Amino acid sequence: MDRITEHHSIKINNEKCIGCTHCMRGCPTKAIRVRSNTAVINYDKCIDCGECLRVCPLYAVEPITTPPADLKRFAYRVALPSPVLYSQFGAPIAPTEILRVLQNLGYNRVYDEAIMCEMIAASIEEYLDEHTSPRPIISSTCPVVVRLIQRLFPSLCKLIIPIEPPREMAAKNLREEISQHHNIKPEEIGIIHITPCAAKMVSIAYPETMTRSYLNGAISIRDIFNPVMKQLKKAEHSVMLDSERPVSGIGIGWSIAGGEIRSLKYHRTISASGVLDTIRILEDVEQGRLKDIEYLELLICPDGCIGGPLTVENRFIAQSNISRLIRIYGSKKTIDTQTVRRLYKEHFFSFERNIEPKPFPGLDKDTAAAIRLLNLKEEYARQLPGKDCGACGAPDCITLAEDIARGEALLKDCIYCREEK
Amino acid sequence: MVHNNDEFHQQFKITGGDFINAGESSCEIRNILKELGVDADIIRRTAIATYEAEMNVVMYARDGTIDVYITPHEIKIIVADHGCGIPDIAQAMLPGFSTATKEMREMGFGAGMGLPNIKKNADSFAIESTIEMGTILTITFTLDHHNG
Repeated sequence: MDRITEHHSIKINNEKCIGCTHCMRGCPTKAIRVRSNTAVINYDKCIDCGECLRVCPLYAVEPITTPPADLKRFAYRVALPSPVLYSQFGAPIAPTEILRVLQNLGYNRVYDEAIMCEMIAASIEEYLDEHTSPRPIISSTCPVVVRLIQRLFPSLCKLIIPIEPPREMAAKNLREEISQHHNIKPEEIGIIHITPCAAKMVSIAYPETMTRSYLNGAISIRDIFNPVMKQLKKAEHSVMLDSERPVSGIGIGWSIAGGEIRSLKYHRTISASGVLDTIRILEDVEQGRLKDIEYLELLICPDGCIGGPLTVENRFIAQSNISRLIRIYGSKKTIDTQTVRRLYKEHFFSFERNIEPKPFPGLDKDTAAAIRLLNLKEEYARQLPGKDCGACGAPDCITLAEDIARGEALLKDCIYCREEK
Repeated sequence: MVHNNDEFHQQFKITGGDFINAGESSCEIRNILKELGVDADIIRRTAIATYEAEMNVVMYARDGTIDVYITPHEIKIIVADHGCGIPDIAQAMLPGFSTATKEMREMGFGAGMGLPNIKKNADSFAIESTIEMGTILTITFTLDHHNG
């Protein structure tokens, strides 16, 4: 990865990019500009939400994931797919079938993350019972939501539940278990997450809550789809129910928005997903409107992880597949509550360190200069037509006004201003 | 219009009885302060005080304005309304004292903590009122020049 994109997981392929305006308009933090007929991402403002990737009509926005060659250095390789994978191949395909085929692609073992999702759900309940304030407590599962809060809503960092998401805890558990069982050094084990989004790559490479991620990398669902699809056979009914370990319906449900709160039956909860609605709800939290809510599940992708930008299946079909799997496998507990309680009390699931607020800088470090810039920005905004057309290379007129005030653009970049002359 | 570039000013209009848009001005003011890079704790206090003042206008007045003046040294919020005014200011400042209607209480308002909360969060606070005319609140927050 080159230096510029180091802390991020999305890049523009300049050879494919034609400098249209789609990615720029979709960006929630206004991080993209179009200059010299190509899109440019300001990585200081990028939160890796993947909206640009999603909307680019030419597939010119590319995810950065772990190259397969990087995995060869591990003596023992484990694949840890997101439960979203189970929704991608049409119904009815048993999760165990998918895992079996995946293992054949060059892994020593594959692990079903759904069970850990169920354990984390139980530990969330422990946390809510132990800590009755502050409220609402916000989910830590989505790495983009964590980043969004750090940067745009820094005062809310303390509301994020200090419990690691299932992908990390599954990897932590696996590494210990495999190391002991097979007598291999922990560092020789490569645990790879199969992910529906690019953002998880960043949370693995640059974790906010621990020194080092328990995962070694991430590969997208898109990257393994074709090889897995080729080898899958449609499952017979007996295969669905014939498995060594119980399949967790609760855990599989985590792939859809509303999955985390499904098992929190005795708490007042809300689930929201999608970029705009997530930002709106966080604004409400900031204003104190959600004090009666105990737990807030927030996912940046529409309808949750099944709506991730690196999935293959249409998310509505995927949702139907997941619902069907939940019906087949049921919503009863498959884990031992006492075990979870013990692990919770031992802080097995806890963050190593707190989430640090990292607010976007204001217009200037010096208040006087910031005020002058703000006045200048408003002055320029009054001269712009307010059409938000994007032709100038900024997503809207207010943003162009700020760019001009900062000396990064000119009034004549606006085609309406040019015409008037 | 004389425009002092070292001071930022914006005015917001409030409509009495408009519970749909209530709170929007304090939300916008919060965003302006974030944009200026003001210290997080000052933003929190300003947002609380402005919200309470805005809600008072919505609940009790016919209409009002919020004027925000920001200099490198302070944030000054002037909330002026046209309404019935406050007959006994000392009483209105008592925690728990409220003239909210039953409907307002059902919406979750009227705990009687608005004015005390504004005073508690502000660095300085002044209130004047004229019966049958309206009320003016002047709320100030000190900014340390290097942004806290």
